[in-house]
Amino acid sequence: MTAVMAEALDRGTREALAGLLLAMADDEFVLGFWDSEWTGIAPLLEEDVAQSSIAQDEIGHAQALYQLLAEVIGGDADRIAFGREPAAYRHARLLDHARTDWAFSIARRFLYDTADAARLDLLVACAWPPLAGVVAKMRREETYHLLHMHTWLERLASGGDDARGRLAAALERLWPDALTVLAPLPGEELLVAAGILAEPMAAAEQRWLASLRPIFTRLELPFPFIQLEGERLETTLAVPAEPRDGHDGSDSFRWLWGEFTMVYRSDPEAVW
Amino acid sequence: MRSLEVYEVFKREREGGPMIHAGNLLAPDPELASHYAREFYGRRQESIRLWIVPRAAIRELDDPDLLQPPFDRSFKKPAGYSTEIKRKLAEARGRVDGRVEGEPEEVEAG
Repeated sequence: MTAVMAEALDRGTREALAGLLLAMADDEFVLGFWDSEWTGIAPLLEEDVAQSSIAQDEIGHAQALYQLLAEVIGGDADRIAFGREPAAYRHARLLDHARTDWAFSIARRFLYDTADAARLDLLVACAWPPLAGVVAKMRREETYHLLHMHTWLERLASGGDDARGRLAAALERLWPDALTVLAPLPGEELLVAAGILAEPMAAAEQRWLASLRPIFTRLELPFPFIQLEGERLETTLAVPAEPRDGHDGSDSFRWLWGEFTMVYRSDPEAVW
Repeated sequence: MRSLEVYEVFKREREGGPMIHAGNLLAPDPELASHYAREFYGRRQESIRLWIVPRAAIRELDDPDLLQPPFDRSFKKPAGYSTEIKRKLAEARGRVDGRVEGEPEEVEAG
């Protein structure tokens, strides 16, 4: 694949690239803040450190992606990250849920991390070198995140009735919104044509579900999909019509937004 | 959290360096112990290798009769031996410089 320069892209493709970067950055940013809510109250000190460190990694990924976005659309990465109203965020609806209990946070992070891994796979050979570079680094850090989440999923699934029950209930509640992470993005066909994205998001979603199926089957956890003709996995769940819009309608997200923009809003012009 | 176990962690900071004791942690199983060791002793890129050992697997020896016997053991130490040689040499030099009577000449030549 020949390398492309962002400024050489036509307007539609640039907009689609900006949309992809914003979606990915907001996902990492919002999840990072949700999981940092566990700092100080995780089940044991060691896990507290682990969970907080993983949450920090996600904020780091968001920072790198906002930086790339600033290169494409101009402006300042911090302003993009902190200077928007809740309605302007483009994270997946999966990330509108509050932290809730430990099993819920693990279930959400497991679903997100595995879906995100499938998305990153589409960007390994990205024709825009800056994004390929950031993705390569993200994938190395995600190796540990995935390992940690698989361990916790197994642990809760094979724990007592309480742990298992909470995990299963969380998954039931999260599955419809989990499908928003790899929902098609506006203009993604332009990104595929430009070699920025290897395939449409739907291809990543199928691979993601296929990879989860044996795990959920073995652990007897909720997996609300059926296999139609061929290999395709389909769901009867009502997936949200606006996978990445309308976050001003979420009380949980509005609260989180208030927390993570509090310092920035106190003086947006401050120099740190 | 059910039964937690203590794990001792050793780290290597650079290629060719020794494994040194880094500290310890609590974990509910060996797998999470590895994850936590990574967080505690590796997340700032300060290690290139970690050993994670359940404390229960460590054989401990702290009996003073075995480790700190009462009689002088300096003759078992290489440093003690060389100190003794140095002392004898210095003594011999002193005797030659001081023209001590009846001492053989060869001592200085050695």
